[in-house]
Formats: sequence, structure tokens, C-alpha cells
Amino acid sequence: MQIREKVLVIEDEKTIAQFIAAILSGSGYEALQARTGSEALSMISSHCPDLVILDLGLPDMDGMDILRQLRSWSSLPVVVVSARSHERDKVTALDLGADDYLTKPFGTDELLARVRTAIRHTRTASGNDEIAQKGTYTVGEMMIDYNKHQVLVRGENVKLTLSEFRIVALLGKHAGKVLTYDFIIKELWGPRAGGGNQILRVNMANIRRKIEKNPAEPEYLFTEVGVGYRLAEGD
Amino acid sequence: MHSKKSFTDLFPFSRRDLLVTAGILACTIALCIFIRMAGGLEGFTSPVFVLAVLLISRLTTGYFYGLLSVVLGVVCVNFIFTRPYWAFNLTNPGYPITFFILLMVSIVTCSLTAQAKQQAHLLAENERVKMRANLLRSVSHDIRTPLTSIVGSTSAILENPNLSQAEQRALLENAREEAQWLIRVVENLLSVTRIGDAQAQITKEPEAAEEVLGGAVQKFRRRFPNITVTVSVPEEVLLVPMDPILIEQVLSNLLENAAVHGGTTTRIQLSLEREDGFARVCVRDNGQGIPQKELPGLFDETRKPTSASHGDGKRNMGLGLSVCRAVVGAHGGTMEAKNLEEGAEFSFRLPLYEEVHEDADPGKSLSN
Repeated sequence: MQIREKVLVIEDEKTIAQFIAAILSGSGYEALQARTGSEALSMISSHCPDLVILDLGLPDMDGMDILRQLRSWSSLPVVVVSARSHERDKVTALDLGADDYLTKPFGTDELLARVRTAIRHTRTASGNDEIAQKGTYTVGEMMIDYNKHQVLVRGENVKLTLSEFRIVALLGKHAGKVLTYDFIIKELWGPRAGGGNQILRVNMANIRRKIEKNPAEPEYLFTEVGVGYRLAEGD
Repeated sequence: MHSKKSFTDLFPFSRRDLLVTAGILACTIALCIFIRMAGGLEGFTSPVFVLAVLLISRLTTGYFYGLLSVVLGVVCVNFIFTRPYWAFNLTNPGYPITFFILLMVSIVTCSLTAQAKQQAHLLAENERVKMRANLLRSVSHDIRTPLTSIVGSTSAILENPNLSQAEQRALLENAREEAQWLIRVVENLLSVTRIGDAQAQITKEPEAAEEVLGGAVQKFRRRFPNITVTVSVPEEVLLVPMDPILIEQVLSNLLENAAVHGGTTTRIQLSLEREDGFARVCVRDNGQGIPQKELPGLFDETRKPTSASHGDGKRNMGLGLSVCRAVVGAHGGTMEAKNLEEGAEFSFRLPLYEEVHEDADPGKSLSN
């Protein structure tokens, strides 16, 4: 029998924890549950889960503190769960090292997609397999060529500017993951870049015009409104 | 109500009040000097100062500036305008009377002013309470029906083990649909709290409008896979100062209205274009259109929510639209709705540039 991946669900609301656990076990994961922060921390060290789903609103501890503590000694993937109106929290959690987030209320598909992506990312240690081996990243009809600094769509070079290429390249290295606006700006223009927000928006809009068929209905470069950008994950 | 007032309530420092006090006193003194030079009359100074004290008490907050003007007024009357000029004369029998009258005028005016202000405040508060109660009533009504259906459907499954798989499935699907509808109601309510009170400022950042459109459409498709949505955006990138979460909510509401209230909607067109200094977003559907009797005042805040008990099973679109209205208004934009030959069109415009001065009443810029 194959070994099932362990997912620890840290959530104080019993009903929510139960349904998440039910969905996970239904899809072949082994689901563990923790109701409080302290219980969660001890379970992480005793059970060594492959992934943690962390609700940011816990009764005994701030979810961010758990994340901070966890990140001080482990790179275990963490998907945080937060309410829609708190997109500031999501950004903070992502910047603190969370791998992804789910917005309450979320559907089964969304949950499973996030879990799959986050677990896959740990398997391919630093980023992306294809990039490490061939220096390219392919998703659908788009290919990022890291050696030639080009992006090809249906085999044709779409002629991105240098900044545009660097944005796509960065997203490609973390494909499937949301990168916050701040993270991208810091990576590209350094920590003291002022007013980078607008530059980033305009760059992204221009990239979409070159890569996507319809910039308002992207197939590759998704916006997570209020949080950041995500590049579609190849299979 | 607070019966005890703190020290700062009674003696608030305000540059404006200080300037008002100084200004009125200066004018009064100038007027008195002018009258004396013109006619050499006497005895007119006291009433003029009574008027000054009255004005100051009325126009400033609290008692402090009124009382200050009384003291200054008495000093002025005594020192400048009573013989011997430019000297104090404390033996004048009229002096305590002047002082007393000025004092009474000030106290009475100040307390009347405070009362009037409190009344206005209470009235506004009442209005707000009433509005909140209306909203709560309409929302509670909206929530009760789906809750009943969820409890009913799930109980039916739990308590009737003999139901066929198909029946169970139908009931569960029912419950899920109702719950999803509740989620949308709650999201709208959250948007309302995010806008907060009428004067509260929302945090705007320049966002690429097409990204927000894309986000809303993506979510809409997941919910209504049977409706075709086409999106068109201009070649030019439109950066619009906005709270993207709120604008996404507006778009979701409009798309959903088109799908649900359009009745027979199968296609929705969403478009974005530049129009003067504005970004214009348009949602067109091919449904049944807006009932003529609902069209006027569709975005009116005081509009009574059309109740869900119309019998046609359609739900109140009051909450969704009033959230749209409030959000767009808070961005300094306007909203419109009209019927097309086929279907309806809802659109809103958002200013492309931050206004230099803040619009005091966002509701005013609203057109029907």
C-alpha cells in the first residue's frame, strides 16, 4: 500500500476542520487535525506532516506567530486560510513564508488544487524541475527560455522588454504560487524602489498584451486581486 | 448622553474659534472707534459689545471663547470707550451691570448653541440608526429563506434514511446553492462595513482595471458555467485609483444580477473603455430587462427593497445594487442603468485621476 501524504489541518472551528479533513481523506491524503496553536506545534514536531493548512484566526495564538515559529526551523509547506476582507493578512502571511492561501469560503477544487501545488513544490526542492534540467519552463503554449531570455508563445518570440522578462521569469520560477506585489517589486527593483506598484501594473498589462489572447481573460498570468500575481502551473 | 463633560469639552482649543473671536472683537472695536470719531456719541458701546459676545458665543464651540469675549469686551468698554478714555475706571456704577449682561448673553447663547448642535447630532444619529435598521430588516428577511431551506433539506436527509440517492442529491444541491447565496449576501455586507460611515475614506491605489474585471469574470464563470461572458478592454492600460476588492464586489454583483434577474440571460458582455477623465465599465445582458416600474430610483438608498415574496422566486436585488451604488459613490463615480432592445445595461464610471478636493457628498454625484 502506498504511503499517504499527511496534511495537518489547524483550525479551531470543528465543522470546518471536519469538512476539510473529509475532503482530504476522500482524495487520498491522511488528514490530522489540531484545534489550537500549541497543539498544532507539538503535532508538527511529533507527526512530521507533509503540509500544514493553517487558519489565521486561532483562539490561543496568532496564526502569524505559528507561521513565524515554524519558519524559524522548517520549510514545511503552509497554506493559510483567511477571510476575504483581510487581504492584508494574506499578504503578510505570504511575506512571512506561507506557500499559498485560501480565502474563506473556498470550494473543494480550490482546496485540493492548493494542496497539490504546495506539496509538489517541496518535492522539486528549489523551484522547478524543468528549469533546473533544461533551463526552460513550459505551460500550455507558452515557454520561458531562461538561457536566451525569451518567452515563446506557440513557438514565437513575443519580444518582452528586460523588465517584462524578469517579471515573467520570476513568476515562472515559482509557478503555481502567488507572489505578492511587494515581493516582485523587491526582487526586481530592490528594497527601496518607490512607486513600484504602478510600474508593476503597467508592465504586467503590457506582458499580458504580448502573451495572452485577451488581457482581461488571462490563461497564464493570473491576478489575485489585492494580493499579487500567479503564473499558471504546467503539468 | 454624557452629562459630565471633560475639561477639553468645555474649553476646547481651536485655531478657527480663536480667529473668529479675534476677528469679531477687532471689528467691534473698529466699529466703536469709528462711531465715536464720527459723532462723539457715548453709551452705544455696550449694546455693540453685547452683539459681539452673542456672535462669538454662537459661532464658536463650547463656553470658552464666549466667556473670553465677555472679559475682553468688559475691559474694552471700560478701558477704551468709557471716560476717562484709555484708563480703567472701576468706580463707574454701570460697569458691573455691563459685565453681568455680557456674561448672561454669553452663557445663554453658548448653551443654546450647544443644544442645537446636539439636536442636529441626535437627528443624524437617528437617521443612521433608522437606515441600519432598514438594512438589517431587509437582510434578515433575505437570510431567513435560504436558512430555512438549508435546515429543511439537511434534516430531510438525516431523518429519512429511505430517500433515494437522487432525492438526497437534489436536497443537498439545494442546500449548497442556498448556502452559496448566503455567502454572497455576507460578502456584500462586509463591503458595506468596509466603506463604513458616509464620510470614511476608502484606501485607493491605482490598479489596472482589466485585472479586476478579469478577477470578477473568473469567479463568475465558476458560479454560472452556462452563461457566456465576453470581456473587452482597450489596448491602452487604464490605471484607476480604487479599492480593488470593493470594485470586484461591484462587478460580481452586476454580473450576478444580470444572470439572476435577467431571467433568461444566456450572454453577458463586459466592457471597459475610457470616457473623458473616466473609466467606464459596462455590463450588458440579453435577459428580460429591468421592469419599467423599478427603473426610476433603482440606485436610491431610501428605496424599499422589493420583497422576495413576489412569488416569482427571484430574490431582492436591493442589497447588491445599493452596495454597488455606495462603492461607486465612495470612489467619486456614477452609476447608470437602462434597458436595451434586448436585455439590460448597467454601467458605472470611475474617475481616472484622484480628485484634488474631496467630494463632500458622494451620493450627490449619482445620476439615476
